[in-house]
Amino acid sequence: MSGSVSRLEKRYRLLLLSYPRAYRRERGKEIVDTLADLAPPGRTRPTVREAFDLIRHGLRARLGRPASRSVVVWAVLTAIVWALFSAAMASRLAWETARPLPSVARASAVFATVAPGRKVSDVQRSPATFVMYGQPLSRQDLGELIFPDGGEYTFGSTTGSMGGASDVDLHRFAEDAVRRLHATGWDVGRPYTQVLDTCGSDDCGGPTESETYLTARRGDDVITIYIEYGGMITPPVSISIERATPWPVYPASVAGGAVGAVIAWFVFGWASRRTDGRHPALRVLTALLLGISLFLWWLPIPFSSWSLLRHQLTEPHYKWHPLWEWLGQPALALFFLVGCVAALTGLAVAALPRRRPDPSMDVATG
Amino acid sequence: MREPTFLILTALADQPRHGYGIIQEVDTLSASRVALLPGTLYTALDRLAAQGLVERDRDEVAEGRLRRYYRLTDNGLKVLDAEAARLRQLATVAEARLRAVRPRTA
Repeated sequence: MSGSVSRLEKRYRLLLLSYPRAYRRERGKEIVDTLADLAPPGRTRPTVREAFDLIRHGLRARLGRPASRSVVVWAVLTAIVWALFSAAMASRLAWETARPLPSVARASAVFATVAPGRKVSDVQRSPATFVMYGQPLSRQDLGELIFPDGGEYTFGSTTGSMGGASDVDLHRFAEDAVRRLHATGWDVGRPYTQVLDTCGSDDCGGPTESETYLTARRGDDVITIYIEYGGMITPPVSISIERATPWPVYPASVAGGAVGAVIAWFVFGWASRRTDGRHPALRVLTALLLGISLFLWWLPIPFSSWSLLRHQLTEPHYKWHPLWEWLGQPALALFFLVGCVAALTGLAVAALPRRRPDPSMDVATG
Repeated sequence: MREPTFLILTALADQPRHGYGIIQEVDTLSASRVALLPGTLYTALDRLAAQGLVERDRDEVAEGRLRRYYRLTDNGLKVLDAEAARLRQLATVAEARLRAVRPRTA
């Protein structure tokens, strides 16, 4: 019996790790003894309900300020936004598992099946899975990545143009391309056509140009055929192959998001406990810096997500746009970085030593 | 005030109690309808202490187990009294309405 109680208490103590250290030191024995008093004889493991209760309230205790409800709201907002950013970073890392882009020779062979008898010229292969201005991201590009050209960071591809297309019936070419792709094992999406209003006024008798996107997937190849009708672009047909999202991106995003949320919660809790009961000016300053950080981190997300969702739903896609684009990154990286600077300043302020240690704060400052 | 908080304050109204004692008393007061878990109880005690409604009374060790007793503060008594009056007033109103609708049930 005493052995089983001892094992049970050890397991309760493990669950108490969700509480801050100083809190455990102050209240850990009291909580474990109460749990042990309540446990029926012979129990060796905490119940699921007890475990959930301890973890949940331990995480709450990490925030300090026991009488505050708003601290939980701010902590949740911080944890969610960092879960998203961490998931995006993890997904970017996991994209490194993608196979290199198809070689020029292999892409040319694919293009030949789409447009037999036609010369697909100027076939070029991006040097990386993601590129900026057609090149892998380099240190020199960082300044422009942050502002103002973060939107230029995009998928690399192996791309070619169909030459001598002036004599081609483009509508028939699109239909034939769909048929040929089907015949060679591609999973083909519905062609997406949109009319281009290149005139900009009512006097020119309405738009005359249109463009069609055709996308298909086979294995980890995603092909996009872009056809422009009635426009000035020569040649009017371009074909490109990108990599489909590699499967490790999904579990890596979930794991990265979970780790990011936990770290954000712990760091937020540490700063909250450190600043509780401090000088009012210090508390106002840290609250202001937190507000600035959260505002700048969250601001781009609804706009980018809404815009990308509409784009993703209206045009056929064989892969989701990468997670960072949904968060407005790196197009609005400046917001993110300024938010980080404000948050780090807040953490530095929170780390300032107290002038006079207050024994009554022992529980709250772990 | 939420029901568990009301019950914790009520459990401490007549005498100081330790955590296990509060949980047992809340179980009795609520006719086993509210089963507090220690994580929930100590979070509530932290909150009530921060609001000045509850304070530590004394520590005892019994059979190697720490018993930390809590008691209501004067303010805690006032708040509990006000909440009890509020609930009593609501119950009175509800009972009056019920008597009007179903005279025999009241």
